[in-house]
Amino acid sequence: MARAPGSFLTGLAYYQGVPVWRHAQIIQWALQIVSGIVVVVLVASFFANITNAIQDRNIPHGFGFLSREYQTPIGQHFLPYESSDTYLYAFGVAATNTIIVSIVGVILATALGIVVGVARISGNWLVSRTALVYVEFFRNVPLLVQLFFWFYIVLTLPPVRQGYVLADGIYFNNAGISVPWPSPPSWDAALVWMAVALVSIIAGVVLHRILTRREELTGKPSYPFLAGGITTVVAAAVGWLVIGAASGNSPFEISVPAPHGTFGRIAGGFTISGGLMALLTGLVIYTSSFIAEIVRAGIQSVGRGQTEAARSLGLAPMAALRYVAFPQALRVIIPPLISQCLNLTKNSSLAAAIGYADLTNVGKTMTQIAPAVSIYILLMVAYLAMSLTYSLIGNLYNRRIRLVRN
Amino acid sequence: MITVFKWIFSVGLLMAISLVIIGCESGDTAAMQQDISDRDARIAELQTQVKTMEEQAASMAAQPSDQMTPEMTGSRLQTVKDRGHLICASRNDVPGYGFLDDAGNNVGFDIDLCRAVAAATLGDADAFEIRLISAAERGPTIQSGEVDLLVRTVTWTTSRDAGWGNYTQTMFYDGQGFLVRKDLGISSALELQGASVCVTQGTTTELNLQDFSNQNDLNIEALTFEDTDAVVAAYQSQQCDAFTNDRSQLAAISSAFEDRDANVILPETISEEPLGPVVPHGDEQWYDIVKTVMAILIYSEAYSVTSGDVPSAATGDTKVDRLFGLEGSFGQDTLGLSQTVAQDVIGAVGNYGEIYNRNLGPGGINLPREGGRNALWADAGCMDCPKGGQIYSAPLR
Repeated sequence: MARAPGSFLTGLAYYQGVPVWRHAQIIQWALQIVSGIVVVVLVASFFANITNAIQDRNIPHGFGFLSREYQTPIGQHFLPYESSDTYLYAFGVAATNTIIVSIVGVILATALGIVVGVARISGNWLVSRTALVYVEFFRNVPLLVQLFFWFYIVLTLPPVRQGYVLADGIYFNNAGISVPWPSPPSWDAALVWMAVALVSIIAGVVLHRILTRREELTGKPSYPFLAGGITTVVAAAVGWLVIGAASGNSPFEISVPAPHGTFGRIAGGFTISGGLMALLTGLVIYTSSFIAEIVRAGIQSVGRGQTEAARSLGLAPMAALRYVAFPQALRVIIPPLISQCLNLTKNSSLAAAIGYADLTNVGKTMTQIAPAVSIYILLMVAYLAMSLTYSLIGNLYNRRIRLVRN
Repeated sequence: MITVFKWIFSVGLLMAISLVIIGCESGDTAAMQQDISDRDARIAELQTQVKTMEEQAASMAAQPSDQMTPEMTGSRLQTVKDRGHLICASRNDVPGYGFLDDAGNNVGFDIDLCRAVAAATLGDADAFEIRLISAAERGPTIQSGEVDLLVRTVTWTTSRDAGWGNYTQTMFYDGQGFLVRKDLGISSALELQGASVCVTQGTTTELNLQDFSNQNDLNIEALTFEDTDAVVAAYQSQQCDAFTNDRSQLAAISSAFEDRDANVILPETISEEPLGPVVPHGDEQWYDIVKTVMAILIYSEAYSVTSGDVPSAATGDTKVDRLFGLEGSFGQDTLGLSQTVAQDVIGAVGNYGEIYNRNLGPGGINLPREGGRNALWADAGCMDCPKGGQIYSAPLR
């Protein structure tokens, strides 16, 4: 096609002297716009379809039920709960159950995974083979099967009336482990004191920081740790006494579990129910087998020369691992580790099978008397919020330990 | 480029979220007006349908009604006939109601009701498919209309009737009770103070348990499981002190225990649990068909006709002849069923009493029937001395 400078059509067909259909920038823009439209249309038709189907079939929907009374029991719960509480609150109680499982599970699984991962590359044949068998066994058996296995293991423990009493006030049986635990006579005083304690911890940390800086700058011994610790303890103790005097009894008292009633069920203290034990064991072991492989891959990705250099400087094997290889390995480990933590959180939704009242378990129960579509939308939003929060925390940490090039 | 993509993506996400909000917002006010006008339209439509059907029925009064069905295209009956088999949502884990026999066949009371409907609509009691669902899946399954019939020990409650589907006919009266070990030494559910009780998830059982606990100040702790198997395991290893469920199911489940004599069902019944088949909302014809099939089962027991002696020629007894399509009609043609539908149903499945005895009575889990609520009300032999049970349906005429 001959070029006709000055004509109007040419102005449209050429951009920066290049035909528009071959201009890289314009092609990219066009592709972006087309894919954007495809996404929007797909999402829109999906939701239009759902809303139409809901209306056609007269399926109940809406969120008005959230303020009604739930009136259904929830098994184990960490927040106080009564059957006269609302759906929304019951949902929060169940979400707390899930959050506790995921936080405790993530901490334990990471710790166990690091130990097994390091053991996997140990020079000791027995240790490394044992770790290999552990990893290959637990990551290749479906999680639900493992959960049922641990559930039935817990059931083989003696029932509550013939259970073990491990020490004064510590009970161990197939309904769970009960231990003495601080419990507030009234939540008002307890919450006020917890706020005071938080403030005193912050004050202690700030003081510790200021004194450390002073020590670094001036060289004068300033005892930052001692000063910070004393500030925290004294402030918290004063708060305890003042609040105790004001409200009549101390903010927290130790509640000792003890058998109650005809059935000898343990009441008081803190109980990790049988279902929670089985769930945590299953989730932690399953997830740790994946984390172990991630840790091994991370450590092995650090050049051999690094460890050899550290060893030749006189560092002991463990010290070389800890101060040289592991910090570099973290950069590789963290991103897949985050996704394992997310998996653990999401996998905790299998709890319904073994009788732990997690978010999904309670949600499923709610669908009996409340609109299922709305409940499942809420469940999705709740899990999404939880996972995105974990992701955010993980990514922030990842950004901190990322290799800085200067 | 990446920022542009992010921008487009976030616009898409925003649109999605706003669509959700719009969908939920309009649910209350706009949807109600929409509902009312929809309902009016449907009433008008049905009236015209009834009118045309009446005309057609009059024009071919003597002919068998098989030719009726093409007029009902789009109806569930037509869908079932086109598909060639009936889809029922049920279970295979509770003896008596729905379980696997030694040969691996899914049998039981609920399964027999499904077979009866298959026999009535397709002329073949084996033309059915069982979709196994958990208790919690019952509502969503019938709401979506993906199954033709839900027969999975479903308690009839008003909110389920409103939200799930249409309850057709109570075929079994049950009630919630407690199973406990005898060595606990308790004789009443009122002694369950502070007990831990196992419940299957997604049943009215949980609500009833909470009500019972609140009313009697028992402070019962509930352990909720997804599946009956896990509940049974937890109960047997005494993770919980009692197992609450419908009494009939407790009887069925504990009959399979090795130490069944060490367990006892407490005398209290803490709820009304009328059980029966449920059909999806939105197809009145299908709803009436299932009700009629249940009535056929009940009345052929009342008339003492069993699967062995189904009449194929007029007997002289008007009621029996009408039931078996040998004289007059009880509405078969209006419903799109064959004139001799009762012969197919009773010949293949048997009457209500046979189904009960085979699955729940002496041939099954041995729940007593005589004198209880599940006996028939009507007694064809003696109009003035009813049997006193609650099993009763609309008369067939």
